[in-house]
Amino acid sequence: MAISQNIATRLLLLTTLLSLFLSLTISTSDPEELVNELLFLQSQSKTGVIHLDDHSISRFLTSTKTPRPYSLLIFFDAKQLHDKHELHLQDLHREFFLVASSFILNNPDKSSTSYAKLFFCDIEFKESQSSFSLFGVNSLPHIRLVVPNVKNPKESDAMDQGDFSRMAESMSDFVESRTKLSVGPIHRPPILSRSQLGFLFAVLLIWTPFMVKKVLTGQTLLHDPKIWLGGAVFVYFFSVSGAMHNIIRKMPMFLADRNDPNKLIFFYQGSGMQLGAEGFAIGFLYTIVGLLLAFVTHVLVMVKNVTAQRLVMVVSLVVSFWAVNKVIYLDNWKTGYGVHTFWPSSWK
Amino acid sequence: MLARTEPINGTAKPKPVSSPMNNFKSDLLNSFSLKSLKLKTKQQELLIRVSILCLVYVLAFITRLFSVLRYESMIHEFDPYFNYRTTLFLTQKGFYDFWNWFDSESWYPLGRIIGGTLYPGLMVTAAIIYWTLRFLRFAVHIREVCVLTAPFFASNTTIVAYFFGKEIWDSGAGLVAAALIAICPGYISRSVAGSYDNEGVAIFALLWTFYLFVKAVNTGSLAWALASAFGYFYMVSAWGGYVFIINLIPLYVMVLLITGRYSLRLYVAYNCMYVLGMLLAMQIRFVGFQHVQSGEHMAAMGVFFLMQVFYFLDWVKYLLNDAKLFQVFLRITVTFTVGVGAIALGVGTASGYISPWTGRFYSLLDPTYAKDHIPIIASVSEHQPTAWSSFMFDFHILLFLFPAGLYFCFKRLSDATIFIVMYGLTSMYFAGVMVRLILVATPAVCLISAIAVSATIKNLTLLLRAKNKVAQTASAKGIGSAKSSSKGLLDQSQPFHRNGAIALLLGAFYLLSKYAMHCTWVTSEAYSSPSIVLAARGAHGNRVIFDDYREAYFWLRQNTPPDAKVMSWWDYGYQITAMGNRTVIVDNNTWNNTHIATVGCAMSSYEDEAYEIMRSLDVDYVLVVFGGVTGYSSDDINKFLWMVRIGGGVFPVIKEPDYLVNGEYRVDKGASPKMLNCLMYDRARGVEIGNKDVKLEYLEEAFTTSNWIVRIYKVKPPNNRW
Repeated sequence: MAISQNIATRLLLLTTLLSLFLSLTISTSDPEELVNELLFLQSQSKTGVIHLDDHSISRFLTSTKTPRPYSLLIFFDAKQLHDKHELHLQDLHREFFLVASSFILNNPDKSSTSYAKLFFCDIEFKESQSSFSLFGVNSLPHIRLVVPNVKNPKESDAMDQGDFSRMAESMSDFVESRTKLSVGPIHRPPILSRSQLGFLFAVLLIWTPFMVKKVLTGQTLLHDPKIWLGGAVFVYFFSVSGAMHNIIRKMPMFLADRNDPNKLIFFYQGSGMQLGAEGFAIGFLYTIVGLLLAFVTHVLVMVKNVTAQRLVMVVSLVVSFWAVNKVIYLDNWKTGYGVHTFWPSSWK
Repeated sequence: MLARTEPINGTAKPKPVSSPMNNFKSDLLNSFSLKSLKLKTKQQELLIRVSILCLVYVLAFITRLFSVLRYESMIHEFDPYFNYRTTLFLTQKGFYDFWNWFDSESWYPLGRIIGGTLYPGLMVTAAIIYWTLRFLRFAVHIREVCVLTAPFFASNTTIVAYFFGKEIWDSGAGLVAAALIAICPGYISRSVAGSYDNEGVAIFALLWTFYLFVKAVNTGSLAWALASAFGYFYMVSAWGGYVFIINLIPLYVMVLLITGRYSLRLYVAYNCMYVLGMLLAMQIRFVGFQHVQSGEHMAAMGVFFLMQVFYFLDWVKYLLNDAKLFQVFLRITVTFTVGVGAIALGVGTASGYISPWTGRFYSLLDPTYAKDHIPIIASVSEHQPTAWSSFMFDFHILLFLFPAGLYFCFKRLSDATIFIVMYGLTSMYFAGVMVRLILVATPAVCLISAIAVSATIKNLTLLLRAKNKVAQTASAKGIGSAKSSSKGLLDQSQPFHRNGAIALLLGAFYLLSKYAMHCTWVTSEAYSSPSIVLAARGAHGNRVIFDDYREAYFWLRQNTPPDAKVMSWWDYGYQITAMGNRTVIVDNNTWNNTHIATVGCAMSSYEDEAYEIMRSLDVDYVLVVFGGVTGYSSDDINKFLWMVRIGGGVFPVIKEPDYLVNGEYRVDKGASPKMLNCLMYDRARGVEIGNKDVKLEYLEEAFTTSNWIVRIYKVKPPNNRW
């Protein structure tokens, strides 16, 4: 009896201990509580993105039971790479914030089904290197979605290049297609805030009557043909240099040579494509010939000194000749079409 | 005036002898000596001018005939086949049937209301030419008329360019402009014989409207304004590009108002042109009430009301006589009108009465818009942004002369030169956004460059003449400040100046002749291929002609049931209906994005999925273009990425990255697995690497043309179920 009692007390002790331990562990991984904690963290953050480290990763991810009541979308960040602009880490991070805040805004409370089902997090490389290795991330930019029943972080879904190419919209598409949660429309902040806009409008309103008066009396810059001329030449330059092409296609100014990384490529061979610097160089060549012609016929003739006149004339002739020749040469090289100018084509 | 005629004098010397024969027959009878035929300077000048214009007129026509000589008289490209088909219908069935035509042969199963969805100007023009010729007892076929419509209108454009140049500068500039525009590649690209498309007549109409409007502004005459309204009507009936006119003219008026150039002439010209032009334009069904409802036309209306305000203010000022009172009145009125205008626009837009801008228009203002949002616009090769080399190709030396011409215009600002500068700059900007809009910029570039050429050559020749005859210097006095100062110099160094001027003149003519050579060469090499018949250089340098398209279309016509439906990528839709006489699913009139996306989706899915889609569309035959054997580069595989993009725009199942390997597009063995298995790939490039043993389960090969360019597959009917 005594033994049995002893056993009973021992058992009791054990169970209490166990239950204590269990309750401790359960209290850390009780799903409800985790969600509440995440919500709290989310409300603490200004952007709605929760900053995680090694400790919190294990708390919210690795040490939980698997059908978690939430998904995590994790952005892997590294401060030391922020100055490498070709990675666009900061741009993507900003877009990530946008998705997060839009999600929170679109799912504000319990009435919406997606509420508290998805949390946006980011991790910094220096702070939490072991988490990076936990996920097997060794290149950035990297975004991962951990859906509720993923056990091993390495098995989680990585967003590939195509999914963040269109910035926030495509990120939200990705999330929606994988989790069946609705992110809703992305709320981009307007370029000007409301108060700024109001201020601008007020200034405009005050300024209009004065403007109208000036216009009617004819004393503005608009009445100076030189300004218009400058603008006109600029529009010409802008158009023929293919600047629109560069803007639409987002062409870089130059490329690094693949064979020799120290060398830069300024001119791209092949018609229908061009690099930024290339376009501007050619646009400049186009413009200068015409302007020299205008200068020679309208300004130079006013100069009294005959020698100076001749000198400038010769220089402008040589420059025009060189510019046209250069353009033709480059055009032949670029497109493969043999455009004619100065010499017959047989003379090369 | 003498600028251009001076050098040509040399070549045209026999002319004064030969052509005045008619005028002076009696003289000839009296004495055969040439001295009695001597014309006065004015007459000489007129004669030379007219003969140059005639030569330019003929030149503009014949330079566009390369394709007819090289291939045969046929319609080119894709869209012209539709235009040809409708013209044929118009001449056979008459105008009213044409106007009410519901076409069930395209866009199966939707069909298309032809009369309400096209610009009838081109067809009606061709039909009128045809009827006139028939009336004059010339037995021509309508196809010949269609083939030659564009060159004919290009010739007419040169005449308009002459008058326009004369209006804005002088007749010398007009002649140069006519000569330049006659052979400018930017214009030839859309107006060679056989290119029976809206642009062919539209550029004529565009320049015509502009010329008449400028004339109206210069003269303040109601008659010219009326004529310009009719010109505008013709433009609206011919091409969607009329939106450019209805925005450029208000912009021009706006600039004139801002720079304080408001005048009663402007008031008359603009009001007449706008009101009448609007009423006339609304008669075109495709435009209809858009003219007063869509956002694209609102600028014109706003400027119209602004003009009334200006006129009203002028009137009040005239009545008041008191500067201070007028200032107060002015402030109140302006604030009031601006407020009312803004509110009206806001209410109109909010209530949906004024529709927002369409995608095409919007993509001009914000060029990145199309790329992100409307793949169907971005997919067309002529909607790509322009690289600098295209400008060089299409304008050659005009590009260098353009800034000089701008400068000349600014030196002699008038209402007319302001117009041409604005036209030049806006169209240049648009040309930078889309390759095809180089066409619209061409007349402006030619005119402005012509001013530069003409003015420069005129100065040089005056310099020459001044030295030849000291007496003539007096006449040159008034010409310009440039000349008077150069005269001061000539006393010191006559021979040097003369030689310099001669050298520069020769240089200028050498460059112009190079321009002519370039244009001819471009026309012959680049712009005269019909694209329905392909030509290549064989191993021995001889021309090899591939006529596979027509072979395929005639096969369709002869060997398929008349109610068969053919699925192909939309490029070939018009040709199939026009030449094969079969119903197509989609064609080049891209009015229904979803429908096209369905086809794109079918083309880029696995065969079994594609089969489902094809069954749902009742497709009987599938036509694909295959360049693997001949090395033809613009086959369906090259268009394939766009099928994916367009399909993906509507059906999220299709994803572009699935078809790319490391962000690159490859069609060989390294191609991505989804790519290798999709329907399009199966049929387009079976031979060339990648996936060689293609076994088709639901399709069977029906016909392959002799050079393997076009392949037609029959969709098997569903298995019998019992």
